[in-house]
Amino acid sequence: MSKEIKKVEKPEKIKKGWDGISNYFRANSIWMLMYCTGCCAIELPQAMTSRYDMERLGMGPMATPRQADVILVTGYLSVKTLRRVIYAYEQMSEPKYLVAFGPCAINGGIYYDSHAVIKQLDQYLPIDIYIAGCMPKPEAVMNGFKDLIEMIKSKKATGWRKYRDNNAWYKANQIHALGEVRIKDEFHE
Amino acid sequence: MNSMNNNVADLVKDVEARFNVLSVDYPKDDQVSFDFDNRDLHSALSYLRSAGWIQLSILSCIDWIDENEFQLVYIIFNWENPIRIQVRTRIDRKEAKFRTITSIYPGAKYYERDVHEFFGVEFEGNPDSNKQLFLENWDDMPPLRKDFDSIAYSDSKYPKREYKTDFSKKAGDK
Amino acid sequence: MKEIKLFLGPQHPGMHGNSSVHMYVDGDIIKRSYLLPGMLHRGFEKSMEKRTWMNNIALIPRICVPEPDTNEMVYAMNIEALANIEVPERAHWIRMLVLEMARLSAHLMAFGGIGGPTGLYTAMYWAQADRDLILTLFEEMTGQRIYHMYIVAGGVRKDLPEGIEKKILAFCDDLERRLPEYEDLVLNNPTILARIKDIIMLPEEVVWELGVTGIGMRSATGKEYDLRKVNPYARYDQVEFDVPTATYSDAFTRMTLKYREMGQTIRIIRQVLAKMPKGPVRAKVDDGSALRWRVPKGQVYSAVEASRGEYGYYTVSDGGTMPYRVAVRGASFPQGLLGIEKYLPGHRIDDAPMWFDTMGICSPEIDR
Repeated sequence: MSKEIKKVEKPEKIKKGWDGISNYFRANSIWMLMYCTGCCAIELPQAMTSRYDMERLGMGPMATPRQADVILVTGYLSVKTLRRVIYAYEQMSEPKYLVAFGPCAINGGIYYDSHAVIKQLDQYLPIDIYIAGCMPKPEAVMNGFKDLIEMIKSKKATGWRKYRDNNAWYKANQIHALGEVRIKDEFHE
Repeated sequence: MNSMNNNVADLVKDVEARFNVLSVDYPKDDQVSFDFDNRDLHSALSYLRSAGWIQLSILSCIDWIDENEFQLVYIIFNWENPIRIQVRTRIDRKEAKFRTITSIYPGAKYYERDVHEFFGVEFEGNPDSNKQLFLENWDDMPPLRKDFDSIAYSDSKYPKREYKTDFSKKAGDK
Repeated sequence: MKEIKLFLGPQHPGMHGNSSVHMYVDGDIIKRSYLLPGMLHRGFEKSMEKRTWMNNIALIPRICVPEPDTNEMVYAMNIEALANIEVPERAHWIRMLVLEMARLSAHLMAFGGIGGPTGLYTAMYWAQADRDLILTLFEEMTGQRIYHMYIVAGGVRKDLPEGIEKKILAFCDDLERRLPEYEDLVLNNPTILARIKDIIMLPEEVVWELGVTGIGMRSATGKEYDLRKVNPYARYDQVEFDVPTATYSDAFTRMTLKYREMGQTIRIIRQVLAKMPKGPVRAKVDDGSALRWRVPKGQVYSAVEASRGEYGYYTVSDGGTMPYRVAVRGASFPQGLLGIEKYLPGHRIDDAPMWFDTMGICSPEIDR
C-alpha cells in the first residue's frame, strides 16, 4: 500500500519571511572549506589568529565539502587544481558561496603567459565576491568577509542559482579549457 | 682562500689525468665545470662519487636550439671538501636519448622524469618515465623547449577577458 | 586482503600545501604510495625566459611561498657571479638579517604546523600569531608582508628605516621568553609524543641515497653539514652560532632540532644588529639602460641554506637582456618524491601527513 505524500504549498508571505530569517542565520555562521589552492592562502592563518580573528564574525574552518558553506579560491588556479575545485564545489550543498582572492582569478594576474594557469575563473564557476590585492592583507580579507555577510543578508549572493540554471554554459567552458573534468586514470594504471 | 684555490687546482689536474676533458671553466671561486663526451660521462661520475662527491644537487637540461643540441648538466657537491662541480655533456636534439644514472646516484630518478616531461629526453633504464608527473592530459609538445610558444597556447585554451572600455588609454585621450 | 586505493587528497585538514598522495592500503598499513605533484605548477622556468633580468624580481619570490627571501638571494648571487659585481659591506649584513628573519618565520610555521595532522590546533594558533609579528616588521622594512622583492643584484633596494633595530631586538627578547612554552606544549606533551616518537625514521644510508639536505641530513649523520658553515656566503663566517645535530633521526628529534635552531637564529640576529657597519647599500649595475642591462655569458649555480635544506638556482645567460634558462632546485624535492615512493610504505595512514610536516615538504617549490 503506497500513500501519496501531498505537497503543501507554503503561501508567499510566509516563504519570504522564512527566507529572511534563514539568511540571517546563514550569514552569521559561515563555515569555510579548508583548501589552500594558491599563494594567497598563506595569509589565511593570519586572519584566523588572535590579531584579526575571523571567528568573531562567525567563520571557522570545516573539513569536508558536504558541510561547508563557502569555498575560498585563494589566488591563481592551475589546470590540475581547477578540476579538484570543481569537484569540491559540486559536492557542496546549496546554498553555497565562492570568494576569489587576488587578480589571478580576474585576468590571470602575473601568470598571464603561463601554459598551465587559467585566466578567468568566472567562466568556469560562479563567483560571489572578489578581494583585491596581491596578496590581500588580512584587513582586506576581513573587509571582504564582511561584504559577503551583507550580500547574504540582502539576498544578493546567488552564484549557486546561476550555476544551477546555466549549467550547460559552464560545462561547455570547462570542457574547452580542461578537456576532461573527472580524470579517469588518476592512479596511472 | 689560497687553500681553496689549491684544492680546485689539484682536483682539475686529477680529473684531467684520468679522463678526456673537453673543456674546463671556473664560474666562481669554489666551483668548476667539466665538459665531457657522452661516452665518458658515466665513468667520470662514478669516479667522482667514490672520491667524495656524494650529493647530487640537481640534474637539468638546456635547449641550445641554434646548435641543435641539448646540454645535460649534473651538479654535485662534497661536504668534506666544499667544491661544487658541474658535469656537462651534449646530446643530439632530434634523437634525444641517454642512459640513466640511477645506478650511481639513486636520487636522480625523479630529476630524470622531470627532464623527460619538460624536454622530451628519453632516459633508458628509468622505469615509469612515460607516466605524467607534473602535467595532466597534456596534448602538445614538451613545454620547456624553445620552439613551444606558451603565449599562443595560453590564449587559445584559456581565453582572455574582454573589457568594454579600454583601460590602457589615459583619461582625456581620444 | 585485497588492497584498497585511497588518495590523501589535496583538500585535507592535515595536508601541508596543495598536493596529494596516492596510496594502496591493506587495512591501516600503506603498501605502495606515490606523490601526485603538479597542482601548483605555473611554468615558472618558461615565464622567466620572457622577462628581463630586473622584471623577474617580481616573479621569483612566488616560487617558495613560506620563505620567499631565499629565492631573491640566490638569483642575485648568480647575477653577481656572472657580472662580477662587488656588493657593499652594509648590504651583506642587511641580507643576513632578512634571511635570518625569514628562517625564523618559516621555522615557526613548520613547528606550529604539527597542529594540523595531530589535532593540536593550539600550537598552530600560537606559532601563526608570532609569525604575524615578524610579518609586521617586514612590512615596515620592505613595504610588503610576504613577497618582499628587497634583495636585488648589487645589494638591497633601500636602507633600513629609523628605529627598526630597537623593534627587532624587543621582538627577539619577547620570543625568547616564550620559546620554553612552545617546548612544553609540543615536545613535552605525552599525546604528541605517542604520535611522533620512533615514527618516520631516517637512517644515514637513506640520506645519502636520496640526497636529503638540511635538518634531515644533520639529524641522521651527526655532522655539522650546514651551508652557512661549510661554504659560507654573505659574512656568515663573522658571526658565531652552533648547528644542532643528532645521530638518531625520528620525527621527535627533527622537531627538537627545529626548536633549537630557532634559538640559534635569534642569537645570529642579535650579533648582526650589533656588528652592522654604516655605508651605501646598493652598487650600480647597469651596462645598458638602468632597467635593461645585459649580463655576460656564463652558467653558474648558487645555493643557500634555507630552513628546509639546500635551495639553489642554476642560471644560464647568453649575453642578452633576458635569462636563457633558469633551473630551480627545491629543497624538498628528494624527500617529497623519491622518499614517499620508497620509504613511506610500511607506515600507517595517519603517518602520511606527519611525513609532510616533519620532513619539511613545501609543495610550491617541488612543482615550480
